[in-house]
Amino acid sequence: MTNDRSDVSTARSRQLAFNGLKSFTDASFLGVLLILIVMFVYFSVSSSSFLTSANINSMLTGVSILFVVSIGMTFAMLSGGIDLSVGSILALSCILFGKLANQAGIPIGLVIVLTLVAGAMIGGFLNGGLIGKIGLSFLVVTLGSNILLRGVVNLWSNTKTEQIISPFLEGFAFNKFLAVPYPVWVMIVVLALSLYVLRSTYFGRDVYAVGGNADAARLSGINVGRTIMIVYAITGLLSALGGVITVSRVGAASPLVGETLIFEATAAVLIGGTSFKGGAGGVTGTAVGVLFLGVLQNGLAVSGVQTFWQQVVTGTILILAVLIEKFRSEERISSSLSRFRRTTPDPVSPAS
Amino acid sequence: MNDQGGDQRVHAQIDGTATIESVPPLLAAENVFKHYGGVHALHDAALHVGVGEVHGLIGENGSGKSTFLKILSGQILPDQAEITLDGEPLPLGKPTLSLASGIATVTQETTLVPDLSVAENIVLGRRAVRRWWGLDRRASRKRAAEVLDRLDLHVDPRTIVNRLRPDEKQMVEIARAISMDAKVLILDEPTSSLTDEEVAALFGVVKSLKAHGVSTIFVSHRMKEVFEITDRVTVLRDGKLVAERDTAELDSAGLIELMVGNKLEEKTPPTLSTTSGEVKLKVDHLVVPGMVQDVSFEVGPGEIVGFAGLIGAGRSELLKAIFGLHPTAEGRVELDGAEVLSHNPRHAMRNGIALVPADRKEQGLILEMSIKENLVMAHTARSWRLGRPPRRREAKEVAQAVESFRVAGAKGRGGASIGSLSGGNQQKIVLAKWLATSPQAILLDEPTRGVDVGAKEEIYGLLDDLRSSGSAILVSSSETPELIRLCDRIFVMFRGRIVASMANENASESAIANYATGNN
Repeated sequence: MTNDRSDVSTARSRQLAFNGLKSFTDASFLGVLLILIVMFVYFSVSSSSFLTSANINSMLTGVSILFVVSIGMTFAMLSGGIDLSVGSILALSCILFGKLANQAGIPIGLVIVLTLVAGAMIGGFLNGGLIGKIGLSFLVVTLGSNILLRGVVNLWSNTKTEQIISPFLEGFAFNKFLAVPYPVWVMIVVLALSLYVLRSTYFGRDVYAVGGNADAARLSGINVGRTIMIVYAITGLLSALGGVITVSRVGAASPLVGETLIFEATAAVLIGGTSFKGGAGGVTGTAVGVLFLGVLQNGLAVSGVQTFWQQVVTGTILILAVLIEKFRSEERISSSLSRFRRTTPDPVSPAS
Repeated sequence: MNDQGGDQRVHAQIDGTATIESVPPLLAAENVFKHYGGVHALHDAALHVGVGEVHGLIGENGSGKSTFLKILSGQILPDQAEITLDGEPLPLGKPTLSLASGIATVTQETTLVPDLSVAENIVLGRRAVRRWWGLDRRASRKRAAEVLDRLDLHVDPRTIVNRLRPDEKQMVEIARAISMDAKVLILDEPTSSLTDEEVAALFGVVKSLKAHGVSTIFVSHRMKEVFEITDRVTVLRDGKLVAERDTAELDSAGLIELMVGNKLEEKTPPTLSTTSGEVKLKVDHLVVPGMVQDVSFEVGPGEIVGFAGLIGAGRSELLKAIFGLHPTAEGRVELDGAEVLSHNPRHAMRNGIALVPADRKEQGLILEMSIKENLVMAHTARSWRLGRPPRRREAKEVAQAVESFRVAGAKGRGGASIGSLSGGNQQKIVLAKWLATSPQAILLDEPTRGVDVGAKEEIYGLLDDLRSSGSAILVSSSETPELIRLCDRIFVMFRGRIVASMANENASESAIANYATGNN
């Protein structure tokens, strides 16, 4: 008997018939989704100012930066790595944006494109190249590039915040389309595209394969190095997108942004059920993880509770999520289930 | 293979009643049940091991052996079980308590810390001897040396474990188990990565343990070893106890019949290739520095050529080099007359070469992914990466592979995790995955490692069928009977060179062993 997930049995195999449902039913973020829903209902009932369109919109817009960065981080973690430099890439994108828009006087639309391309290049060539092509440790490489890029940010900006005046940007940050703020549209588009790429392309499979077992992937003819480069390019691109949203919302390019982003993004991805070892999880979970953090913080704030409680709850949930993953992978769940299922209280062992 | 303890043993019938003739056995496990969801892994299994007895636990993959062993070692909590060790009930579901009670397990996967010394590994996990300045390394070394001596092992306790051969590592594991005063030692397929010589050394240790009154539960797929080392065997089939016998009462055919029921027919003789003269694959002066020395040979279309030799003789490295996995490989490899030696597996695949790697779990499959995704992985590796995998065609492909490779437990479950299949069926998927690339040269490294007898024969049949595709087929195996069963010609390698080549009709286990050990 192999001791793998097979035995989660009949209920599961029945669901296999509904292929579309499958990804949802065995998803590891279901627990967190449940807590999110309970939390949402609780805040809606307990506070009259929570469930208002203004508050929901502001909550969603508030998490939009974390959202896109966390989606990028999901790619890195699915491939079996992590990108510690997301915060610095985001800050560098802000500064680059400011320099291009103010000093070079390039039109805003082009500035946005250039910033995104720069983010993808830094992620892809600096991080991805060293990790994927040269084979260095992702921890060391991205830790190093995080420090390095932060240094570049401080030197280049002279640690000064630079104002960027652009009606276009302002409109993007604060106006709505079909009653939904533009940053939220960006979230939706990023989620949809990532979902498509990961679930419906060969590249998406490659990401899971490389994260699951890079050796086997390579022997199967998958270009592991290139896959890793593209993964970190995506993470860089989405970090830069986070930078663009930051600039639009703040109306300025500040060198101080994104310093704690790495912790929140990693937490969101892990809470969303993506495995720290790679190869399992997905962006839907990350979306749930980010919304969890957003609803918690916003709900506590409108309820007048000290928002530091958000940190306590987030930390607890994060550890619980990892704990649950451990139980899953060691398959104790099935044995404890069968223990619960027994109706007669026959002894677990004659010994005890 | 003495039997002086025979009259003291418990003779259990299949109906579960046990007649105790004199002293109870050291380890007695009765009424062992374990269900996973709706599947029963163990259903009324039992095991009795006497003092100083070497007891074979035999069964096909999926018969419940592993589950049984994991219950004994406390890794799995059974649904129900009555297990006593030395008359005392054995605490269940707690690995540390099983160990403390005296049940130690040595598995295929080494659990040693590679960067520590032999001595440190042996005393690992226990309170080391302390002095006022800290740890007393000399005392640890002495303790380790005593255990190694007891096992008649000549390994310097200061050696870093990383530098040891695989069999030596296993011995150190055994030494560690012994140093914890184990009464029962579980050896779970200890020989699958060892050469004959190393196996002999291992058996020497098992025998000296026996002399010290330590019992051994021995699990192996190799019949020869079971007969060589065990006093008694317990056969499991589908989670049930089928038979418990003295080994001397059985012969190989009888044991296999107990294992598989009646589904195995007479051993199939090899279907040899009929082609002559044509050359499909030509390897010319292939060198991998330090591993393969100037190897040349030719393989005809539809021919199966085997490579025998000890671990480290260069068999695996030769196959890997042809598949482009050795950046330092030099020489010429021609497939259908075209030069195909590369330093990149992707180029090798493009040139029509496939490698079925030796380590299914580490190299052959991605256990997190589904049966389907694993199956199509290799032949879609060159598709446009942003393309959409054709779901319907893939589903059909899985259904076909499951059908023609007779993959048990995979029907209509293409989306299920590959890990849910048993070892033999996983191996069939690995094979199907590579055959889907329509290779012109197929390299198989240990194609049936860790696979049960029935699945083995099925895999042999599949390879026989492959001949008609006209591909060149290369098999490297540490199981000589397998090579004799399969191959038209067998090359024996020793220290990186081909030292002998024999046609199937001239090949014998003893001749191959002779060349493989360098006696020539």
